[in-house]
Amino acid sequence: MTKVDVPPSTDAVQAVARTGARRPGRRAAGRNWAPTAFLLPIAAVFVVLYAVPLAETIYYSFTDFNGFSTDVNLVGLANYRTIFTDPSLLTGLGFTLAFALATTLLITMLAIPLAVVLNKKFFGRSLVRSIFFFVGVPSQVILGLVWQYIFSPLNSGALNSVLAKFGMDPVSWLADPQIARGCVVFVAVWAGVGWHAMLYLAYLQAIPADLYEQSQVDGASGRQQFFHITLPQLVPAVVVSSFLLITGGLRVYELPFAMTKGGPGYATNTITQSIILRGLAQSDYGVGSALAVLFTVACLAVILVQLRLAGIVSKRFA
Amino acid sequence: MIRTHPGRRADGRRTALHSVVMISITAVIAVPLYYIVISTFKTPIDMAKSPLGLPGSWTFDNYVNVFRTSPVVRSFINTLIVTVVGVAFQVLIGSMAAYGMILRKGRLTAAVGTVLMVAFCIPMQSTLIPLYRMEASLNLVNTLQGLILIYLGSAIFCYFLIVGYMRKLPMSLLEAARIDGAGPFRIYWQIVLPLIRPILTTVVVFQTLSTWNDFMWPNVLLSSTENRTIVLQVYNAVGQFSTDWPSFMTVTVIALVPVFVFFMFCQKWIVSGLVAGSVKQ
Repeated sequence: MTKVDVPPSTDAVQAVARTGARRPGRRAAGRNWAPTAFLLPIAAVFVVLYAVPLAETIYYSFTDFNGFSTDVNLVGLANYRTIFTDPSLLTGLGFTLAFALATTLLITMLAIPLAVVLNKKFFGRSLVRSIFFFVGVPSQVILGLVWQYIFSPLNSGALNSVLAKFGMDPVSWLADPQIARGCVVFVAVWAGVGWHAMLYLAYLQAIPADLYEQSQVDGASGRQQFFHITLPQLVPAVVVSSFLLITGGLRVYELPFAMTKGGPGYATNTITQSIILRGLAQSDYGVGSALAVLFTVACLAVILVQLRLAGIVSKRFA
Repeated sequence: MIRTHPGRRADGRRTALHSVVMISITAVIAVPLYYIVISTFKTPIDMAKSPLGLPGSWTFDNYVNVFRTSPVVRSFINTLIVTVVGVAFQVLIGSMAAYGMILRKGRLTAAVGTVLMVAFCIPMQSTLIPLYRMEASLNLVNTLQGLILIYLGSAIFCYFLIVGYMRKLPMSLLEAARIDGAGPFRIYWQIVLPLIRPILTTVVVFQTLSTWNDFMWPNVLLSSTENRTIVLQVYNAVGQFSTDWPSFMTVTVIALVPVFVFFMFCQKWIVSGLVAGSVKQ
């Protein structure tokens, strides 16, 4: 495993601040038209794939547009009211939030100790690292489908066949709302722990070794070192990893869709699945778009909190 | 100093303990992978009787069956086309933009930087419905070109990864090239791109993985069998081989082999992409 440089986590914040500052020395570096020419393709991407569609989403969210009729009426906040009264959408909203929180907590609590162990030398370490990492690499859909077979309610399901060995009855894993939710979260944790442990590992390797050497001289135990050196040094990594997990969790779609199609009932329905189902399959553009707007606002809120946290953390720990 | 010796022995014992514990946990983690692979060598009856056991008699019929009845080769080629073309354009657009940004500091670049930062925070789901309508009006639904067009959106992510690296380039080098008479395009192509190769590799590896694995857009856009990407093919294999579980697992293995090979060769760049991406996201 190669060492990876860990850039400071406030780069993004600084980048915004820096673009405002002029550096006279660089002015001469290009002819006047050149920067514009190089920025044209990304400007096109921005306008066509981001700005215009986002404006359309916001507009549709206030209308009763169904994709076909030319008679489009403004309906005010009716679509937003629908979201908060429709049980399928509400359950989807609830499961998405629960999924984001549960996976963030579980993966963070498991990935940090895993990374600490993977940072120590032991026989078979690179194999262990690779397998933990690899299960997070394939498409979540493929993983979800395979797990759907493992969780098969039949006696021939892999998990139920193990239970049978211990004389237990088969369980309908994905047919019970609560168990199905648990199973989806479990698979997400299974796939995500190694991935995030690699992230923590990269940050762990950047902790200066003399911190540990000094504390060893002072007679600190392994436990004391973990709580007084490793954890504080990992705070920036926790901020970054949990942010990835929360935003990724809010966007979740593929894993539950592959495992349960959002069922049983709407137990594992997600916001993204609702946007696709309502907005595209059922041509209910208004409700689908209103959902998309709420979703965007939620994601932006999380990002703002993250930037704040990153600022605080970099001040406190840098 | 006297304690060095017993200390080392305790260390050795602890290392052995780590190995035993970690290798057992990893074995449990890897059970699904074992399950996928071992199932492909079983008959359906064999798989139903003992899902996790070794095959009663090893069979390769599932592979013959899948390659005969399922267009896995076609969907593999489709995915390859979409990924190669898509990632090439993402990286090109992203690196051009990054170069344009370091060429000159001014009001324009400051505005562009802010705008891209905002765009970066918009999740794909928010624009899904209008983008689908746009593809429909351009007759791009159910085409690989349409899928590639959507994937160009990731150019903004590439831009953020690349621009941070590019800002650390020695400007004197570009300045010297300019004085020697090289135009901006030549400097970009012959000096800047070779200089930023490490970050380009990282971005290419990371974007290849996420483009290859994407399911949402192929599922929304592609409807005909001959256009399917490999992940969509696996998804459809559930219905195609409804009770024939070993054949489904075979499709899965065929889909996972390229990912596994890619992982073996590019593991370290996936990590560096993970770290670089985490900082910007």
